[in-house]
Amino acid sequence: MTLRKLTPAVGIGYRSAIGDWTRDNLAHFDMLEITVDHCLSSSESVASEIFDLVGQIPMTAHGIGLSIGTDVPLDLAYLDRVASIVERLQAPAYSEHLAFTRAPGRDLANLLPLPKTEEVAEAIIAKVRTIQSRIPVPFLLENISYLFEWPESRMTDVEFLNLVCRETGAGLLLDVENLYLNSRNHGFDPHAFLNDLPAGIVKEVHVAGGVTVHKDFLARPFLADSHSHPVPDGALDLLDRVLVRHRPDAVVLERDDRLQEFDEILADVRRIRARVDAVQSENGHASALVAASD
Amino acid sequence: MPARLLQRQISLLEYLTSADAIFGEGIDAPPVPHLQGFDLAPLRLEACFSHEKRMEKIIAAFPRTFELLGDDQATVVRDFVAACPSVDIRRIENARQFHDFACARWETTPPQPPYLRDVAACELAMATLRIKGKVRSSQPVAAGHAMRFRRNREAVFLPCAYDIRPIFEGGASEAPQLRDVMLAILIPPGNDQPAIFEVPASVYGLLVELDTWTDRAAWGPMEGLDELISELAEHGLLEVSR
Repeated sequence: MTLRKLTPAVGIGYRSAIGDWTRDNLAHFDMLEITVDHCLSSSESVASEIFDLVGQIPMTAHGIGLSIGTDVPLDLAYLDRVASIVERLQAPAYSEHLAFTRAPGRDLANLLPLPKTEEVAEAIIAKVRTIQSRIPVPFLLENISYLFEWPESRMTDVEFLNLVCRETGAGLLLDVENLYLNSRNHGFDPHAFLNDLPAGIVKEVHVAGGVTVHKDFLARPFLADSHSHPVPDGALDLLDRVLVRHRPDAVVLERDDRLQEFDEILADVRRIRARVDAVQSENGHASALVAASD
Repeated sequence: MPARLLQRQISLLEYLTSADAIFGEGIDAPPVPHLQGFDLAPLRLEACFSHEKRMEKIIAAFPRTFELLGDDQATVVRDFVAACPSVDIRRIENARQFHDFACARWETTPPQPPYLRDVAACELAMATLRIKGKVRSSQPVAAGHAMRFRRNREAVFLPCAYDIRPIFEGGASEAPQLRDVMLAILIPPGNDQPAIFEVPASVYGLLVELDTWTDRAAWGPMEGLDELISELAEHGLLEVSR
Protein backbone atom coordinates (compact mmCIF):
# COMPACT_ATOMS: atom_id res chain seq x y z
CA MET A 1 0.00 0.00 0.00
CA THR A 2 1.40 3.40 -0.94
CA LEU A 3 1.02 6.66 0.84
CA ARG A 4 -1.94 8.77 -0.29
CA LYS A 5 -1.63 10.60 -3.57
CA LEU A 6 -2.22 14.04 -2.06
CA THR A 7 1.15 14.11 -0.30
CA PRO A 8 2.29 14.52 2.31
CA ALA A 9 0.37 11.98 4.33
CA VAL A 10 0.00 12.88 8.00
CA GLY A 11 0.24 10.25 10.71
CA ILE A 12 1.77 9.18 13.98
CA GLY A 13 4.40 6.77 15.15
CA TYR A 14 2.60 3.59 16.26
CA ARG A 15 3.09 2.76 19.94
CA SER A 16 1.70 -0.51 21.27
CA ALA A 17 0.90 1.10 24.63
CA ILE A 18 -1.86 3.01 22.83
CA GLY A 19 -2.42 0.43 20.13
CA ASP A 20 -6.12 -0.01 20.89
CA TRP A 21 -6.70 3.75 20.80
CA THR A 22 -4.74 4.03 17.55
CA ARG A 23 -6.78 1.31 15.88
CA ASP A 24 -9.99 2.98 17.03
CA ASN A 25 -8.83 6.30 15.59
CA LEU A 26 -7.31 5.30 12.26
CA ALA A 27 -9.62 7.75 10.50
CA HIS A 28 -7.59 10.62 11.94
CA PHE A 29 -4.42 9.47 10.22
CA ASP A 30 -3.32 8.95 6.61
CA MET A 31 -0.52 6.62 7.59
CA LEU A 32 1.37 5.12 10.54
CA GLU A 33 5.09 4.85 11.11
CA ILE A 34 6.10 1.46 12.47
CA THR A 35 9.29 1.00 14.44
CA VAL A 36 10.69 -2.20 12.98
CA ASP A 37 12.48 -3.02 16.23
CA HIS A 38 9.10 -3.21 17.97
CA CYS A 39 8.15 -5.96 15.51
CA LEU A 40 11.44 -7.74 16.12
CA SER A 41 11.70 -7.68 19.90
CA SER A 42 8.18 -7.28 21.27
CA SER A 43 5.77 -10.05 22.09
CA GLU A 44 4.14 -12.04 19.31
CA SER A 45 0.83 -10.40 20.11
CA VAL A 46 2.27 -6.88 19.70
CA ALA A 47 3.83 -7.85 16.38
CA SER A 48 0.57 -9.48 15.25
CA GLU A 49 -1.39 -6.37 16.09
CA ILE A 50 0.96 -4.36 13.91
CA PHE A 51 0.86 -6.77 10.99
CA ASP A 52 -2.92 -6.90 11.23
CA LEU A 53 -2.90 -3.22 10.20
CA VAL A 54 -1.44 -4.07 6.78
CA GLY A 55 -4.10 -3.25 4.22
CA GLN A 56 -5.98 -0.99 6.60
CA ILE A 57 -3.62 1.99 6.46
CA PRO A 58 -0.29 2.70 4.73
CA MET A 59 2.74 2.19 6.96
CA THR A 60 6.32 3.31 6.67
CA ALA A 61 9.23 1.59 8.42
CA HIS A 62 11.53 3.24 10.92
CA GLY A 63 14.47 1.76 12.84
CA ILE A 64 16.16 2.49 16.14
CA GLY A 65 18.40 -0.55 16.54
CA LEU A 66 20.96 -0.40 13.72
CA SER A 67 23.54 1.91 15.34
CA ILE A 68 24.99 2.68 11.93
CA GLY A 69 27.65 4.90 13.44
CA THR A 70 29.30 2.33 15.68
CA ASP A 71 32.77 1.76 14.28
CA VAL A 72 32.21 -1.94 13.63
CA PRO A 73 30.75 -3.77 10.62
CA LEU A 74 26.98 -3.67 10.21
CA ASP A 75 24.94 -6.49 11.73
CA LEU A 76 23.82 -8.11 8.48
CA ALA A 77 21.55 -10.62 10.22
CA TYR A 78 19.71 -7.71 11.82
CA LEU A 79 19.41 -5.99 8.45
CA ASP A 80 17.95 -9.11 6.88
CA ARG A 81 15.38 -9.32 9.65
CA VAL A 82 14.54 -5.67 9.06
CA ALA A 83 14.15 -6.39 5.35
CA SER A 84 11.57 -9.07 6.06
CA ILE A 85 9.63 -6.72 8.34
CA VAL A 86 9.73 -3.95 5.73
CA GLU A 87 8.40 -6.35 3.13
CA ARG A 88 5.65 -7.59 5.42
CA LEU A 89 4.58 -4.04 6.25
CA GLN A 90 4.61 -3.18 2.51
CA ALA A 91 6.48 -0.08 3.60
CA PRO A 92 7.54 2.36 0.85
CA ALA A 93 10.74 3.35 2.71
CA TYR A 94 12.98 2.41 5.65
CA SER A 95 14.64 5.04 7.81
CA GLU A 96 17.34 5.03 10.50
CA HIS A 97 19.23 7.58 12.56
CA LEU A 98 22.61 8.96 11.63
CA ALA A 99 23.96 8.12 15.07
CA PHE A 100 25.37 5.41 17.27
CA THR A 101 23.80 3.92 20.36
CA ARG A 102 26.21 1.21 21.41
CA ALA A 103 29.73 -0.13 21.32
CA PRO A 104 31.00 -3.56 22.34
CA GLY A 105 30.14 -4.03 26.01
CA ARG A 106 27.81 -1.06 26.36
CA ASP A 107 24.38 -0.11 25.00
CA LEU A 108 23.19 3.33 26.00
CA ALA A 109 19.83 2.95 24.20
CA ASN A 110 20.15 6.63 23.38
CA LEU A 111 21.12 8.22 20.09
CA LEU A 112 24.57 9.77 20.15
CA PRO A 113 26.21 11.99 17.55
CA LEU A 114 29.19 11.10 15.39
CA PRO A 115 32.32 13.10 14.69
CA LYS A 116 31.43 15.12 11.60
CA THR A 117 34.52 14.44 9.51
CA GLU A 118 35.07 13.20 5.96
CA GLU A 119 36.60 9.95 7.25
CA VAL A 120 33.54 9.14 9.30
CA ALA A 121 31.28 10.15 6.41
CA GLU A 122 33.13 7.71 4.13
CA ALA A 123 32.52 4.87 6.55
CA ILE A 124 28.84 5.77 6.80
CA ILE A 125 28.55 5.98 3.01
CA ALA A 126 29.86 2.43 2.68
CA LYS A 127 27.38 1.21 5.27
CA VAL A 128 24.46 3.00 3.61
CA ARG A 129 25.34 1.26 0.34
CA THR A 130 25.26 -2.07 2.14
CA ILE A 131 21.85 -1.26 3.59
CA GLN A 132 20.58 -0.24 0.16
CA SER A 133 21.80 -3.53 -1.29
CA ARG A 134 19.89 -5.59 1.27
CA ILE A 135 16.65 -3.66 1.77
CA PRO A 136 14.77 -3.11 -1.48
CA VAL A 137 13.03 0.16 -0.62
CA PRO A 138 14.49 3.67 -0.45
CA PHE A 139 16.66 4.23 2.62
CA LEU A 140 16.33 7.48 4.57
CA LEU A 141 18.71 8.89 7.17
CA GLU A 142 17.36 10.88 10.10
CA ASN A 143 19.09 13.81 11.76
CA ILE A 144 19.24 13.37 15.55
CA SER A 145 19.12 15.86 18.37
CA TYR A 146 22.39 15.92 20.25
CA LEU A 147 23.62 17.44 23.46
CA PHE A 148 27.38 17.35 22.87
CA GLU A 149 29.80 17.72 19.98
CA TRP A 150 32.88 15.64 19.18
CA PRO A 151 35.91 17.91 19.41
CA GLU A 152 37.27 16.71 16.06
CA SER A 153 34.11 17.61 14.10
CA ARG A 154 35.05 19.69 11.08
CA MET A 155 31.74 19.86 9.21
CA THR A 156 28.36 21.37 9.97
CA ASP A 157 25.34 19.13 10.46
CA VAL A 158 24.00 19.90 7.02
CA GLU A 159 27.35 19.43 5.29
CA PHE A 160 27.71 16.01 6.89
CA LEU A 161 24.17 14.93 5.98
CA ASN A 162 24.47 16.27 2.44
CA LEU A 163 27.74 14.46 1.85
CA VAL A 164 26.33 11.09 2.89
CA CYS A 165 23.05 11.55 1.04
CA ARG A 166 24.69 12.87 -2.14
CA GLU A 167 27.15 9.97 -2.37
CA THR A 168 24.54 7.29 -1.68
CA GLY A 169 21.31 8.68 -3.06
CA ALA A 170 19.73 8.18 0.35
CA GLY A 171 16.88 10.49 1.22
CA LEU A 172 16.46 12.42 4.41
CA LEU A 173 13.98 11.86 7.20
CA LEU A 174 14.14 15.37 8.57
CA ASP A 175 13.20 15.65 12.21
CA VAL A 176 12.22 19.31 12.42
CA GLU A 177 11.99 19.11 16.22
CA ASN A 178 15.59 17.90 16.33
CA LEU A 179 16.61 20.68 13.97
CA TYR A 180 14.75 23.20 16.14
CA LEU A 181 16.35 21.91 19.37
CA ASN A 182 19.85 21.69 17.91
CA SER A 183 19.65 25.21 16.51
CA ARG A 184 18.60 26.53 19.92
CA ASN A 185 21.03 24.41 21.96
CA HIS A 186 24.04 24.91 19.70
CA GLY A 187 23.31 28.34 18.30
CA PHE A 188 22.93 27.98 14.54
CA ASP A 189 20.34 29.19 12.07
CA PRO A 190 17.85 26.41 11.22
CA HIS A 191 16.73 28.28 8.11
CA ALA A 192 20.28 28.26 6.80
CA PHE A 193 20.33 24.49 7.45
CA LEU A 194 17.14 24.10 5.42
CA ASN A 195 18.39 26.34 2.63
CA ASP A 196 21.54 24.26 2.33
CA LEU A 197 19.62 21.02 1.77
CA PRO A 198 19.10 20.16 -1.90
CA ALA A 199 15.44 20.66 -2.81
CA GLY A 200 13.49 17.41 -2.71
CA ILE A 201 15.91 15.49 -0.51
CA VAL A 202 13.49 15.37 2.45
CA LYS A 203 11.22 12.38 1.92
CA GLU A 204 9.68 12.14 5.38
CA VAL A 205 9.41 14.49 8.34
CA HIS A 206 9.24 13.92 12.09
CA VAL A 207 7.67 16.42 14.45
CA ALA A 208 7.50 16.17 18.23
CA GLY A 209 7.44 18.23 21.37
CA GLY A 210 10.06 18.30 24.10
CA VAL A 211 10.87 19.97 27.38
CA THR A 212 13.34 22.52 28.72
CA VAL A 213 15.86 21.02 31.15
CA HIS A 214 17.50 22.94 33.96
CA LYS A 215 20.42 21.36 35.83
CA ASP A 216 22.79 22.98 38.25
CA PHE A 217 25.80 21.78 36.27
CA LEU A 218 24.59 23.40 33.03
CA ALA A 219 25.50 26.97 32.20
CA ARG A 220 22.12 27.42 30.52
CA PRO A 221 18.92 25.42 30.04
CA PHE A 222 18.87 22.76 27.33
CA LEU A 223 15.91 21.78 25.18
CA ALA A 224 15.41 18.03 25.24
CA ASP A 225 13.74 15.85 22.64
CA SER A 226 11.44 14.01 25.04
CA HIS A 227 8.55 13.35 22.64
CA SER A 228 6.25 14.18 25.52
CA HIS A 229 4.53 17.50 24.89
CA PRO A 230 2.76 19.46 22.16
CA VAL A 231 4.86 20.44 19.15
CA PRO A 232 6.29 23.96 19.59
CA ASP A 233 5.22 26.56 17.05
CA GLY A 234 8.88 27.11 16.18
CA ALA A 235 9.14 23.53 14.91
CA LEU A 236 5.92 23.88 12.93
CA ASP A 237 7.27 27.07 11.32
CA LEU A 238 10.25 25.02 10.14
CA LEU A 239 7.82 22.40 8.86
CA ASP A 240 6.18 25.04 6.64
CA ARG A 241 9.45 25.70 4.90
CA VAL A 242 10.20 21.99 4.50
CA LEU A 243 6.80 21.37 2.97
CA VAL A 244 7.29 24.06 0.34
CA ARG A 245 10.83 23.17 -0.58
CA HIS A 246 10.83 19.38 -0.38
CA ARG A 247 7.28 18.05 -0.79
CA PRO A 248 7.86 15.07 1.52
CA ASP A 249 5.73 11.95 1.31
CA ALA A 250 4.85 11.82 4.99
CA VAL A 251 4.81 13.90 8.16
CA VAL A 252 4.87 11.83 11.34
CA LEU A 253 4.08 13.00 14.85
CA GLU A 254 6.27 11.19 17.37
CA ARG A 255 5.02 10.72 20.91
CA ASP A 256 6.66 8.47 23.52
CA ASP A 257 5.58 9.91 26.82
CA ARG A 258 2.30 11.14 28.31
CA LEU A 259 0.72 8.85 25.76
CA GLN A 260 -2.69 8.96 27.42
CA GLU A 261 -3.05 12.64 26.50
CA PHE A 262 -5.06 11.69 23.44
CA ASP A 263 -6.52 15.16 22.99
CA GLU A 264 -3.02 16.61 22.75
CA ILE A 265 -2.02 14.02 20.16
CA LEU A 266 -5.06 14.65 18.01
CA ALA A 267 -4.67 18.42 18.40
CA ASP A 268 -1.06 18.15 17.19
CA VAL A 269 -2.17 16.07 14.21
CA ARG A 270 -4.73 18.77 13.37
CA ARG A 271 -2.08 21.50 13.71
CA ILE A 272 0.24 19.59 11.37
CA ARG A 273 -2.56 18.98 8.89
CA ALA A 274 -3.50 22.66 8.96
CA ARG A 275 0.10 23.56 8.06
CA VAL A 276 0.10 20.98 5.27
CA ASP A 277 -3.21 22.19 3.89
CA ALA A 278 -2.18 25.83 4.10
CA VAL A 279 1.06 25.19 2.23
CA GLN A 280 -0.67 23.06 -0.39
CA SER A 281 -3.34 25.67 -1.02
CA GLU A 282 -0.78 28.45 -1.28
CA ASN A 283 1.94 26.40 -2.85
CA GLY A 284 2.65 28.74 -5.70
CA HIS A 285 2.86 31.75 -3.43
CA ALA A 286 5.01 29.93 -0.87
CA SER A 287 7.37 28.68 -3.56
CA ALA A 288 7.85 32.21 -4.77
CA LEU A 289 8.65 33.34 -1.26
CA VAL A 290 11.28 30.65 -0.80
CA ALA A 291 12.81 31.39 -4.18
CA ALA A 292 12.98 35.06 -3.32
CA SER A 293 14.68 34.45 0.00
CA ASP A 294 17.14 31.79 -1.20
CA MET B 1 36.64 5.60 10.10
CA PRO B 2 39.73 6.58 12.07
CA ALA B 3 41.31 3.60 13.77
CA ARG B 4 40.76 5.12 17.15
CA LEU B 5 37.07 5.93 16.75
CA LEU B 6 35.81 2.63 18.15
CA GLN B 7 38.04 2.98 21.19
CA ARG B 8 36.76 6.51 21.70
CA GLN B 9 33.15 5.36 21.33
CA ILE B 10 33.75 2.67 23.94
CA SER B 11 35.37 5.18 26.28
CA LEU B 12 32.51 7.60 25.75
CA LEU B 13 29.89 4.97 26.55
CA GLU B 14 31.86 3.82 29.58
CA TYR B 15 31.86 7.38 30.84
CA LEU B 16 28.18 8.01 30.03
CA THR B 17 27.16 4.88 31.95
CA SER B 18 29.39 5.62 34.93
CA ALA B 19 28.33 6.83 38.36
CA ASP B 20 30.79 9.69 37.83
CA ALA B 21 28.80 11.05 34.93
CA ILE B 22 25.34 10.17 36.23
CA PHE B 23 25.73 11.34 39.81
CA GLY B 24 28.40 13.96 39.26
CA GLU B 25 31.13 12.24 41.21
CA GLY B 26 34.55 13.52 40.24
CA ILE B 27 33.01 15.96 37.77
CA ASP B 28 35.92 18.38 38.10
CA ALA B 29 38.38 15.73 37.06
CA PRO B 30 38.82 15.18 33.31
CA PRO B 31 37.47 11.82 32.11
CA VAL B 32 39.66 9.18 30.56
CA PRO B 33 42.30 10.37 28.07
CA HIS B 34 40.25 9.24 25.05
CA LEU B 35 37.67 11.89 25.97
CA GLN B 36 39.96 14.88 26.15
CA GLY B 37 38.37 17.85 24.43
CA PHE B 38 34.74 17.02 25.23
CA ASP B 39 32.60 19.50 27.12
CA LEU B 40 31.72 17.57 30.29
CA ALA B 41 28.48 19.35 31.22
CA PRO B 42 26.46 18.17 28.20
CA LEU B 43 28.02 14.71 28.58
CA ARG B 44 26.66 14.61 32.12
CA LEU B 45 23.24 15.67 30.84
CA GLU B 46 23.35 12.87 28.26
CA ALA B 47 24.32 10.43 31.02
CA CYS B 48 21.45 11.59 33.23
CA PHE B 49 18.90 11.28 30.41
CA SER B 50 20.05 7.79 29.52
CA HIS B 51 20.07 6.72 33.16
CA GLU B 52 16.56 8.07 33.72
CA LYS B 53 15.27 6.22 30.66
CA ARG B 54 16.91 3.01 31.80
CA MET B 55 15.54 3.30 35.33
CA GLU B 56 12.05 4.00 33.95
CA LYS B 57 12.23 0.65 32.17
CA ILE B 58 13.41 -1.12 35.31
CA ILE B 59 10.94 0.51 37.70
CA ALA B 60 8.12 -0.31 35.28
CA ALA B 61 9.04 -3.97 35.73
CA PHE B 62 9.45 -3.74 39.53
CA PRO B 63 6.91 -1.18 40.78
CA ARG B 64 6.21 -2.90 44.11
CA THR B 65 9.85 -3.80 44.71
CA PHE B 66 10.86 -0.16 44.36
CA GLU B 67 7.98 0.96 46.53
CA LEU B 68 9.07 -1.48 49.23
CA LEU B 69 12.72 -0.40 48.96
CA GLY B 70 11.61 2.93 50.40
CA ASP B 71 14.52 4.99 51.67
CA ASP B 72 17.03 2.40 50.44
CA GLN B 73 16.05 3.08 46.84
CA ALA B 74 18.68 5.75 46.16
CA THR B 75 21.52 3.67 47.61
CA VAL B 76 20.46 0.54 45.77
CA VAL B 77 20.19 2.40 42.46
CA ARG B 78 23.56 4.05 42.94
CA ASP B 79 25.23 0.72 43.69
CA PHE B 80 23.41 -0.88 40.77
CA VAL B 81 24.70 1.77 38.37
CA ALA B 82 28.25 1.30 39.62
CA ALA B 83 28.07 -2.49 39.32
CA CYS B 84 25.92 -2.97 36.22
CA PRO B 85 26.28 -0.57 33.29
CA SER B 86 23.67 -0.74 30.55
CA VAL B 87 24.53 -3.45 28.03
CA ASP B 88 21.22 -3.98 26.29
CA ILE B 89 18.43 -1.74 25.03
CA ARG B 90 15.61 -4.16 25.92
CA ARG B 91 13.40 -3.62 28.94
CA ILE B 92 13.44 -7.24 30.01
CA GLU B 93 17.23 -7.50 29.83
CA ASN B 94 17.60 -4.42 32.04
CA ALA B 95 15.03 -5.88 34.42
CA ARG B 96 16.97 -9.17 34.60
CA GLN B 97 20.17 -7.27 35.18
CA PHE B 98 18.61 -5.42 38.11
CA HIS B 99 17.12 -8.61 39.54
CA ASP B 100 20.45 -10.43 39.37
CA PHE B 101 22.13 -7.48 41.07
CA ALA B 102 19.50 -7.30 43.81
CA CYS B 103 19.65 -11.06 44.49
CA ALA B 104 23.45 -10.94 44.78
CA ARG B 105 23.17 -7.98 47.14
CA TRP B 106 20.59 -9.74 49.28
CA GLU B 107 22.95 -12.70 49.70
CA THR B 108 25.17 -10.52 51.89
CA THR B 109 22.67 -7.89 53.05
CA PRO B 110 19.29 -9.43 53.87
CA PRO B 111 16.51 -7.51 52.18
CA GLN B 112 14.24 -5.21 54.10
CA PRO B 113 11.42 -6.04 54.24
CA PRO B 114 12.40 -9.72 54.25
CA TYR B 115 9.81 -10.71 51.64
CA LEU B 116 11.34 -8.34 49.08
CA ARG B 117 13.20 -11.19 47.38
CA ASP B 118 9.92 -13.00 46.70
CA VAL B 119 8.24 -9.82 45.46
CA ALA B 120 11.09 -9.05 43.07
CA ALA B 121 11.14 -12.62 41.71
CA CYS B 122 7.41 -12.46 41.17
CA GLU B 123 7.64 -9.13 39.35
CA LEU B 124 10.42 -10.41 37.09
CA ALA B 125 8.27 -13.41 36.20
CA MET B 126 5.34 -11.11 35.41
CA ALA B 127 7.52 -8.82 33.28
CA THR B 128 8.82 -11.83 31.36
CA LEU B 129 5.30 -13.07 30.72
CA ARG B 130 4.15 -9.65 29.53
CA ILE B 131 6.88 -9.73 26.88
CA LYS B 132 5.52 -13.04 25.66
CA GLY B 133 2.10 -11.44 25.46
CA LYS B 134 -1.43 -12.47 25.89
CA VAL B 135 -2.52 -15.99 25.21
CA ARG B 136 -5.28 -16.29 22.70
CA SER B 137 -8.37 -17.98 24.08
CA SER B 138 -8.77 -21.51 22.89
CA GLN B 139 -11.98 -23.44 22.64
CA PRO B 140 -12.52 -25.33 25.89
CA VAL B 141 -11.97 -29.03 25.55
CA ALA B 142 -14.18 -31.15 27.73
CA ALA B 143 -12.24 -33.58 29.88
CA GLY B 144 -12.52 -37.09 28.58
CA HIS B 145 -10.51 -40.14 27.70
CA ALA B 146 -9.86 -38.98 24.10
CA MET B 147 -7.82 -35.99 25.09
CA ARG B 148 -4.25 -35.27 26.03
CA PHE B 149 -2.72 -32.61 28.19
CA ARG B 150 0.55 -31.11 29.35
CA ARG B 151 1.75 -28.40 31.71
CA ASN B 152 1.60 -24.84 30.42
CA ARG B 153 5.27 -24.30 29.69
CA GLU B 154 4.94 -20.53 29.85
CA ALA B 155 3.86 -20.69 33.49
CA VAL B 156 6.52 -19.76 36.03
CA PHE B 157 6.56 -21.78 39.27
CA LEU B 158 8.06 -19.83 42.10
CA PRO B 159 8.75 -21.27 45.54
CA CYS B 160 8.35 -18.41 48.02
CA ALA B 161 9.11 -18.08 51.72
CA TYR B 162 6.25 -15.63 52.12
CA ASP B 163 2.72 -15.65 50.78
CA ILE B 164 3.09 -12.40 48.89
CA ARG B 165 -0.13 -12.65 46.87
CA PRO B 166 -1.95 -9.97 48.89
CA ILE B 167 0.69 -7.44 47.77
CA PHE B 168 -0.41 -8.02 44.19
CA GLU B 169 -4.10 -8.19 44.97
CA GLY B 170 -5.02 -4.63 45.70
CA GLY B 171 -2.33 -3.78 48.23
CA ALA B 172 -1.80 -5.52 51.52
CA SER B 173 -2.32 -3.56 54.70
CA GLU B 174 -0.49 -6.22 56.71
CA ALA B 175 2.88 -7.84 56.10
CA PRO B 176 2.75 -11.04 54.06
CA GLN B 177 2.55 -14.22 56.07
CA LEU B 178 5.78 -16.21 56.56
CA ARG B 179 4.71 -19.48 54.95
CA ASP B 180 6.36 -21.70 52.33
CA VAL B 181 4.18 -21.43 49.29
CA MET B 182 4.45 -22.49 45.65
CA LEU B 183 3.14 -19.80 43.35
CA ALA B 184 2.31 -20.20 39.69
CA ILE B 185 2.50 -17.06 37.58
CA LEU B 186 0.96 -17.10 34.13
CA ILE B 187 -1.31 -15.26 31.75
CA PRO B 188 -4.67 -17.06 31.96
CA PRO B 189 -6.41 -17.89 28.67
CA GLY B 190 -8.09 -14.85 27.15
CA ASN B 191 -6.29 -12.40 29.42
CA ASP B 192 -3.46 -10.03 28.67
CA GLN B 193 -2.05 -9.60 32.17
CA PRO B 194 -0.32 -12.16 34.38
CA ALA B 195 -2.10 -13.70 37.33
CA ILE B 196 -0.72 -15.41 40.43
CA PHE B 197 -2.09 -18.66 41.81
CA GLU B 198 -1.09 -20.75 44.76
CA VAL B 199 -0.44 -24.32 43.72
CA PRO B 200 -0.75 -27.02 46.41
CA ALA B 201 2.28 -29.27 46.68
CA SER B 202 0.41 -32.30 45.34
CA VAL B 203 -0.76 -30.40 42.26
CA TYR B 204 2.71 -28.97 41.70
CA GLY B 205 4.10 -32.49 41.75
CA LEU B 206 1.56 -33.51 39.13
CA LEU B 207 2.34 -30.53 36.92
CA VAL B 208 6.08 -31.21 37.05
CA GLU B 209 5.35 -34.71 35.75
CA LEU B 210 3.35 -33.34 32.84
CA ASP B 211 6.20 -31.81 30.92
CA THR B 212 5.19 -33.53 27.68
CA TRP B 213 1.84 -34.34 26.10
CA THR B 214 0.17 -37.13 28.01
CA ASP B 215 -2.88 -39.16 26.90
CA ARG B 216 -5.70 -39.05 29.39
CA ALA B 217 -6.47 -42.67 28.54
CA ALA B 218 -3.04 -43.74 29.81
CA TRP B 219 -4.05 -42.72 33.32
CA GLY B 220 -7.10 -44.97 33.39
CA PRO B 221 -10.11 -44.33 35.59
CA MET B 222 -9.20 -42.05 38.47
CA GLU B 223 -11.69 -40.37 40.73
CA GLY B 224 -11.70 -36.58 40.46
CA LEU B 225 -8.97 -36.46 37.79
CA ASP B 226 -11.17 -35.06 35.02
CA GLU B 227 -12.48 -32.35 37.32
CA LEU B 228 -8.92 -31.45 38.34
CA ILE B 229 -7.78 -31.33 34.69
CA SER B 230 -10.72 -29.07 33.84
CA GLU B 231 -9.94 -26.74 36.71
CA LEU B 232 -6.23 -26.54 35.90
CA ALA B 233 -6.99 -25.95 32.23
CA GLU B 234 -9.48 -23.22 33.13
CA HIS B 235 -6.75 -21.37 35.03
CA GLY B 236 -4.27 -21.92 32.23
CA LEU B 237 -1.99 -24.26 34.18
CA LEU B 238 -2.66 -27.13 31.78
CA GLU B 239 -2.89 -27.15 27.99
CA VAL B 240 -5.49 -29.59 26.76
CA SER B 241 -6.04 -30.82 23.22
CA ARG B 242 -7.82 -33.56 21.37
